[in-house]
Amino acid sequence: MTDRRGWFLDPEAGPIFQQIGDNVRRFLARGDLRPGEKLPSARDLAGELRVNPNTVVHAYSELEGQGVLETRRGLGSFVREDAPVEGMRQDLIRRAASRFAEEAVRLGLSKGEAIAAVKEVLDARAAR
Amino acid sequence: MLARLDNVTKRYRTVEGLRDVSLEFPEGEVAGLLGLNGSGKSTLLKLLAGLLVPTAGRVTVFDGTPRRNRARLVYLGEADSLYGWMDARDAERFMAGLFADFHRDRFRELLQGLDVPPRKAKAMSKGERGRLRLAMTLARDARLYLLDEPLAGIDLLSRERILSSLVREWHKDSTILLSTHEVAEAEGLFDRVLFLREGRVALDARAEALRSEGRSVVATFREVLG
Repeated sequence: MTDRRGWFLDPEAGPIFQQIGDNVRRFLARGDLRPGEKLPSARDLAGELRVNPNTVVHAYSELEGQGVLETRRGLGSFVREDAPVEGMRQDLIRRAASRFAEEAVRLGLSKGEAIAAVKEVLDARAAR
Repeated sequence: MLARLDNVTKRYRTVEGLRDVSLEFPEGEVAGLLGLNGSGKSTLLKLLAGLLVPTAGRVTVFDGTPRRNRARLVYLGEADSLYGWMDARDAERFMAGLFADFHRDRFRELLQGLDVPPRKAKAMSKGERGRLRLAMTLARDARLYLLDEPLAGIDLLSRERILSSLVREWHKDSTILLSTHEVAEAEGLFDRVLFLREGRVALDARAEALRSEGRSVVATFREVLG
């Protein structure tokens, strides 16, 4: 389920509408999607991801409620010029860090051990 | 309500295909019909299509009997009904002659989207024939689409194309009922999932509601029917 932007859905990971929202936020945080840019129509994205068009409509309307998207009549859905990109980026980073931190706590790691573990993995990836 | 079953039982000579099932299908829904072989999926679809008559209970489609409303519903069965000599153009003439609601231009678009090769059916692979049959089905302007295993026994790429076309062609005033064993591939498509077991509805749920409880449709399938 990927296009040039790399949409990623996992049916095991909660409602699909939420995951579509997370994908859009991630694209914005990475700069793969920018304020003012148009999103695919609900039908096109649904066709590409092979999900129900209602689910995409649901995802877009949630994003609209969060001030990320706006619908321009007859034109489609666009990223708002004032979309809180930096805020979303920080939020995604915090969420990712929290997931790791929780597991580290469950494993009984000290702060230093946890940080060293992340660093080691990142270094190894960078070396690949 | 587009279609409903009231206490429907279908008994074949010795076995019961469906046992006292009551269901409603509102307009604008994509419902997945899931279950093991012999669970009653095909029986349910054939009853709604008017190809079978219930032993007991009542099947209603558009406020009438399915037989009276056959022009407004589309049924895609498991059996391959294509003639070997037919290519896509023959199929187009055939369908246009048979059904007033068949759209030739939509059919041609579908052929393109589904990448149906310009060959006679007998020279096509099973996946190619499946794609042609789906194009014939979706080019009709019905309100109720009854699709029995459109993904069965065909290659991954054909299945993906079929699912994409289904999504693109589906309109809010119509309802799709689709039976499949390819639960993982198709689950994103469903608003609603019906799990059938031994002729009864074991679970009738909203797909997104299951996922928000952290259960995929696939996981639920194993839980309910495994």
